[in-house]
Amino acid sequence: MCAGAAGLANTISGLIGKHHTGYRWTVDSTHETMPGCDPSVAADLALVTAVLQRDRKATAEFVESYADAIYAFVRRRLTPRYDLVDDVVQDVFLAAWESLSKFRGTSPLKAWLLGIARHKVEDHYRKLLRAADQLDTEVVEVLPAAKVDLEQIADQERTEQRARAVLEDLPEQYSAALQWRYWEKRSARQMAEATGRTEKGIERLLSRARDEFRRRWTE
Amino acid sequence: MSDEHRAPSRLKSRIYSALVQRQAQDGPLLGLTEVKAHGQKLCVFEELVQVSPVGDSLKRTNYCRVCHARVMGENIEDAPVYWSGCPYAQFQNR
Repeated sequence: MCAGAAGLANTISGLIGKHHTGYRWTVDSTHETMPGCDPSVAADLALVTAVLQRDRKATAEFVESYADAIYAFVRRRLTPRYDLVDDVVQDVFLAAWESLSKFRGTSPLKAWLLGIARHKVEDHYRKLLRAADQLDTEVVEVLPAAKVDLEQIADQERTEQRARAVLEDLPEQYSAALQWRYWEKRSARQMAEATGRTEKGIERLLSRARDEFRRRWTE
Repeated sequence: MSDEHRAPSRLKSRIYSALVQRQAQDGPLLGLTEVKAHGQKLCVFEELVQVSPVGDSLKRTNYCRVCHARVMGENIEDAPVYWSGCPYAQFQNR
């Protein structure tokens, strides 16, 4: 983190040289060489300061710089509900505007925005799983012990694509439950707390979802 | 980055419009004179307002709201918007 970056968001433009070259926010050389100061953090803070000043061109740069990353992040996690992606991404930016004054540069702006995106995605999972009691149990087919390690699958890049395809075909609640548990690494207890369901209930849901995933994976 | 993972230009346009609208609701936008002083490029319409002898409040108005570039940017993917300094031209994935 840039030394003394905390609290600088409202005054940084007066402390650092900031200029705009071809729609990229940069900082001047004196700031880049300040001990312990990451130039990218300084550039993030400069951009945030300009957006907080309601500078429309900085706001355009803010959107252009981060929309692709947020979109990709959200899209992968909302599989197969691609129809919801645009609204969630827009919500992320509006939520970011609401709390932008709290950005302190302790992490890159992109990571900070992805944190907001993660919360928005989890809001979606939460809503889905709260309603998951209404699932048609007929869809559940328990298979004999065909061992598929979901944790391992999530970590293996080469199987990621296939896993995504299987998730797309699952009932929405199953897909959300598995993504939340295995891709976002949340425990059943955390999911239960977030959705107001019992841990047992979440485990039962995950069990059904795993069975269905396994059935489609092996067929 | 593959096209699948790039945000559509329409989405970027809508997000920008929503953000600036929210900013304008929360307080006056930064004046066009100050924006230009920061070294940023204004579009042709903003440039006209900026050099006109009009009050400060008019230079803080969000003119994109009534611009046809916004309508095209929000509704047409890779809209034919080419004005220098126009955010909706900046968002096009071409």
